[in-house]
Amino acid sequence: MIHVRDLTKSYRDLRRGQFVALGGISFDARPGTVYGLLGPNGAGKTTALRILSTVLQPTSGTVTVNGYDVVTQAAQVRRHIGFMSANTAVYDRMTGWEMVEYFGRLYGIPRPALRDRMAAMFNRLKMNDCRDVLGAKMSTGMKQKVSVARAVIHDPPVLIFDEATAGLDVLVARALLNTVAELRDQGKCIVFSTHIMREAEKLCDRVAIVHRGQILAEGTLEELRERHHQRDLEELFFQLISQHEAACGFAAVL
Amino acid sequence: MTFRNVRLILGREIRDQLRDRRTLFMIAVLPILLYPLLGVSLLQVSQFMQEQATRVLVVGAGGLAARPPLFENGQFSLRLCGDPGAARLLELHFATQEPTSPGAATTDPRAEADAKVAAGRYEAALYFPPDFARRLESFRAAVRRQAHVDAGPALRLEVPSPEIIHSTANEKSELAFARLTGLLQRWSEQIGEDNLAQSGVPKLAARPFMVGSADVADVSHRGASLWARILPVLLLLWALTGAFYPAIDLCAGEKERGTLETLLCSPAERTEIVVGKLLAIMLFSIITVLLNLLSMGITGWMVMAQMPGLGLPPPAAIAALAVALVPMSALFSTLCLALAAFARSTKEGQYYLMLLLCVALPLVVLPMSPSVDLNLGNSLIPVTGVVLLLRSVLEGNYWQAFQFSPVVIMVTVIACVLSIRWAVEQFNRETVLFRASERLDVGLWLRRLWSQRRPTPTVAAAACCGTLILMVHFFVSISGSPIGGMDDFIRTVLTSQLAVIAAPALLLTLLLSRSLRQTLLLKRPPWLAVPAAALLAIALHPASNVLQSLVRQLYPISDSVRPALERMQEMFCQADFATLVLVIAILPALCEELAFRGFILSGFRHLGHKWRAIIFSALFFGLTHGVLQQSLLACLLGTILGFLAVQSGSILPGIVFHVVHNALALASTRITPEMVPDVPALRTLVTPLDGGGCLFAWPVALAGGLAATLLLVWFARLRAPLSAEEELAAAIRHGQRQAATLVPQEAACGFAGDR
Repeated sequence: MIHVRDLTKSYRDLRRGQFVALGGISFDARPGTVYGLLGPNGAGKTTALRILSTVLQPTSGTVTVNGYDVVTQAAQVRRHIGFMSANTAVYDRMTGWEMVEYFGRLYGIPRPALRDRMAAMFNRLKMNDCRDVLGAKMSTGMKQKVSVARAVIHDPPVLIFDEATAGLDVLVARALLNTVAELRDQGKCIVFSTHIMREAEKLCDRVAIVHRGQILAEGTLEELRERHHQRDLEELFFQLISQHEAACGFAAVL
Repeated sequence: MTFRNVRLILGREIRDQLRDRRTLFMIAVLPILLYPLLGVSLLQVSQFMQEQATRVLVVGAGGLAARPPLFENGQFSLRLCGDPGAARLLELHFATQEPTSPGAATTDPRAEADAKVAAGRYEAALYFPPDFARRLESFRAAVRRQAHVDAGPALRLEVPSPEIIHSTANEKSELAFARLTGLLQRWSEQIGEDNLAQSGVPKLAARPFMVGSADVADVSHRGASLWARILPVLLLLWALTGAFYPAIDLCAGEKERGTLETLLCSPAERTEIVVGKLLAIMLFSIITVLLNLLSMGITGWMVMAQMPGLGLPPPAAIAALAVALVPMSALFSTLCLALAAFARSTKEGQYYLMLLLCVALPLVVLPMSPSVDLNLGNSLIPVTGVVLLLRSVLEGNYWQAFQFSPVVIMVTVIACVLSIRWAVEQFNRETVLFRASERLDVGLWLRRLWSQRRPTPTVAAAACCGTLILMVHFFVSISGSPIGGMDDFIRTVLTSQLAVIAAPALLLTLLLSRSLRQTLLLKRPPWLAVPAAALLAIALHPASNVLQSLVRQLYPISDSVRPALERMQEMFCQADFATLVLVIAILPALCEELAFRGFILSGFRHLGHKWRAIIFSALFFGLTHGVLQQSLLACLLGTILGFLAVQSGSILPGIVFHVVHNALALASTRITPEMVPDVPALRTLVTPLDGGGCLFAWPVALAGGLAATLLLVWFARLRAPLSAEEELAAAIRHGQRQAATLVPQEAACGFAGDR
């Protein structure tokens, strides 16, 4: 469903020079699974997911989403994904209903079908309280629900969540994780990036631990635990990153 | 691009803007309130100025004659003022101390009056010099005596001038000055009339006739020249202002609020997003202009109706304004959209407004000058052409407007299309969409510039090189002295070619690129490309000659430049041909090709489209040719030269083309009209011109053009080496075409069944 091969992305940056945000990562995500990208801030998760959503272009490497190339068939890729991140905000001057309807119409869903689907979704996600509230007046939880509804309204086969729980309280975050799990059970291919171990443990079928644009380890949680002889995911994460820092000669940051 | 998505985006943006109080205030509320408020303020100010009493100090008025009276009962005489109200507006204070003769020991009343006006105690002072009254009376008596003595001595008496002391720094003082000037003028006239009457001469002797006037303008066109100047400028300024605020909010504002990325990862294509936003911005720009014009019209009708000779503009002119509004709003909206997309924040976006205004204002204000008229040359200038066309319509010159409207429309459409493409480009560049601000560190930046050099220069380096050449060229040309002889000319060409064009390009190549060979295209071309380039120059020569003549008809060479050109032409005819070829053909070919088809073209190749690179390098090439008539032709030639360089991958065919082209142009200056009748071949090829020189016959130019086209087709079929960016752009276009043929495999998507 998602195939990433030798993906690199580098920027020109005045201070850091040619900055390599992604240094040739490869992974595959399959339908009905949640693939977790686990890494600290600045690891390159957002860059990778922005490339998947066609908003950024790779420097080299190939990425196909649902059979479409993200560079040459970007429009097709966007039709088949739902993308939600901390950077995809809701419109201040639109109500929850208007916003979801707007994106539903952009995805080409006919108006009657869209109305039925939205009514069901607003009920399922308990969004009726933010139906007629303008984005500017919504609480963070409300905004997050609207973003989820906006990302899944066209029922895409691939869903990308980039640090979707950032800044949410426990209740809202938990509800969001449940929604993601439901979507997985419906057979969606989900890529979920986070730096919270608990979420990865709870949700991800496979994870890739990303640091400084490299995948340090990849596999199911069980495989990782066995391979690195560490049951605790947080310790495992810390251990891998420390080893990488030491190998690369960086000063200890953790 | 699907219209459905454009409509959806347009609808959302309109709704969004209608819910934004700031935009609504700028677009709807401000125009409705602005003009009535301005009108009321104007009326109040003018009433205030009319009714404002001013204090006037009168010095030295003692002993003035009673006939005709200047003062009566402590005020100016009613005969002079006309009505008591006007007399009361000048509050007179008579100085107790009379002016003294020079040398007297007491305080100088004149200096005292100056000081009092300067200190603001009086708005003005009326100062009669010492002896004024006596000398005026002596003068009048002398006039009377002379009238009765036929051969009396000529009048030698002079009357000293009274002075009005005022301050231009004070508005009320200026008002008092204007009132006093009028009154004293009338008093002087009355004295003159009295003198004439006493001398037995009729009053009419001093003013034997009055000048009459007749206005042939149609009643509906009265005051048209004022409207013709005001309305187009207002229209364009409001179109720009009306476009800018929504543009900033819908682009930079969305970036700030984080909603732009939400839209970018939706299936809407970049073009659909740009067109949807553009239409919304355009709509608000048009509404702003209409509301402004409407509000101004109503206010003007009510406030200025009292002004004689200023009628409302004719209905046809209003209709023309409405028609011109759409393309102008489109142009400004697109420019605003592209700039706003470039801005990181609304604050940064507002800075760019100044930039846009600085570029747009001269284009809008230039046509206000009475000497700038609608002609073919001016209609080719974007914005200016539209303003001039509108001015013609408003002045009732419909035929002139009709003649040039196709050109103005064409230029405006081209400008709109280019700016739309630029805006789409902004939305396609991730460096623009996800630009982060960085702290400026010049030292670090220079170090990075050196250490991160690529084989060929960047786009920015190419643009800098072009601008540097233009700037140095400009300063050298304005500081240079006029060319005296051939030696002077050779020295000037050497300086301009080697120091101004070749040296910066070579220096920047060494500093900003890693590969001299790749940057300056120092490669071997396909072997046939060199003779083909020479043939192309020969084939194009007649067409280029005809085109040059057309350009000169369109934009005649100004009288200030013509003598210098004629002198140069004469000098060329007398100079050694081999030297001329070296200086005018070979040297520029080498230097200009290295700079424009070498460094600059290589840098612009990173734009991602070869034609863009060719056109930009050709524009810089054209601009360095100084004289407009030369620049236009140089732009065209620069395009061909760029094409040769891109297609052959080498600089050599361009150099050969350039040498042959310039050498032929030199050779043709040697053909004089007198030679034509004697040489049979010349009779077939060229036609002598009245003003000197010869013009190739149309069939020859056409045949040459045809041959040139065939040669260009041959060049087009060469396998041109592409830059990495051009290859990527080609792959994207290929992928889009492929995707379009695949038609959505929506079976994988859940909503496929809903369709």
